[in-house]
Amino acid sequence: MKNMDKIKILNQTKKDVKNILENTDQQIINLSLILTKIPENINEQYNNLRILSDLLFPTLEKELTIKEYCLFIKEYIIDEKINYKKLQENGISKEKINIITKINSYNTNIEYKLETKKIIQKLSKNILKLIEIKEKIEKEIDILFEENYKNTKEIATISIACKMLEISGSFKRLSRFPASTIQLLGSEKSFFKALKTNRKTPKYGILYNHPLIIKQKEKNKGKVARSLAAKISICLKADIDKVEIYKDIIEKLNIKIKQLER
Amino acid sequence: MKNLIIKDKIYTLDLNTKEKREWSPFHSKVCAGIKKGIIPDIKEDYKILYLGAAEGYTISYISDLISIGEVVGIDISAYSMQKLILLSEKRKNLIPILGDCNLPENYKETIENEKFDLIIQDIAQKNQIEILKKNADLFLKKNGKVLLSLKLSAISQKHKSIINEQLNEFEKNFKIIKKTKLDPFEKKHILIYGENK
Repeated sequence: MKNMDKIKILNQTKKDVKNILENTDQQIINLSLILTKIPENINEQYNNLRILSDLLFPTLEKELTIKEYCLFIKEYIIDEKINYKKLQENGISKEKINIITKINSYNTNIEYKLETKKIIQKLSKNILKLIEIKEKIEKEIDILFEENYKNTKEIATISIACKMLEISGSFKRLSRFPASTIQLLGSEKSFFKALKTNRKTPKYGILYNHPLIIKQKEKNKGKVARSLAAKISICLKADIDKVEIYKDIIEKLNIKIKQLER
Repeated sequence: MKNLIIKDKIYTLDLNTKEKREWSPFHSKVCAGIKKGIIPDIKEDYKILYLGAAEGYTISYISDLISIGEVVGIDISAYSMQKLILLSEKRKNLIPILGDCNLPENYKETIENEKFDLIIQDIAQKNQIEILKKNADLFLKKNGKVLLSLKLSAISQKHKSIINEQLNEFEKNFKIIKKTKLDPFEKKHILIYGENK
């Protein structure tokens, strides 16, 4: 090959790499991969925080969520006064503030130095930052789905659609799958094991976490998963043509599920 | 080994003031093969096709060996291709291509039907020998050589029973010159050096 050819091929490969990495599917996959790992990180840091703060409030964590707990500790720890205005501004309801004041009256009266108090405050700030990042990523994924794949978002829910994209690699490839494949996505290992040993095949894969299936009785779960997978595969194909059909399909699905429940 | 690009990433200075790089057999299967006794005959003006180039550790040493010739690296992953493109801008005899080695017709036009003296393959897939055969039919010269690193655990977990089966399949299309296990450096691997029939 001559030297001129190399420049031509190099430009071609650069273009190919750019096309693949700039794709919206790839962006969604990357964001959802980060999103699955952030909660582990938050839990780890929350345990670290509670090693110190549990001595002050041993029963507070049962009443509040992680975000509310960190907000309260951040405001309270240095002055040791409850600032009602700031707590209300940050979205904590009146009932929960009442619970906090009740628990505060049974305080254990353990006193920390000022420097350890600052460490506790910094730990709680760290967790709040991670929660903020998580919320931003969720918003970003929601916007990407809203613009490109609205039908799938409404029926399959965002978290399941993200996992389907991770397995298949791209939305175009996913839309070519038949409904029976979509029903079993995520349960490949047990499916092929069942085929080898002549036992019963699985009924669902990642669809098991869908809110419509969790509600059902054990007897109906397989049947609902099959009809749900059929509707999802229709929506995937409609999203490629950019047609809005999700309202009709949700109605039909609800009628079908009522028939199955009888 | 002599370094083609001076002050490239990994290097140690020789006593004779000629720059040399260190080639680790624990990271590269071709180097492990050389340690075990398979020395592929590579000349300065050779044209080499490398299937499964990844981020370009081994391929950078092969580009050192052929100062006049050219080496074409093919890989399927877009992420590792970014690093290979950066490497190819330094090394002028290295050409990167993004493609699937299972479908050689797709990159047949970009290579412009060039024939190669040697094909090196390092892909962990179930049909490793079939991939080599497809590429050799299209791109290998008549007396060309092949160097295949066979990962047995990618084919089956019962790796002891399938060695003869795989070697028979290899001998249908190629003649075996030498073969070894890469045991202390790489587990469950066989390196085969062969010639086109």
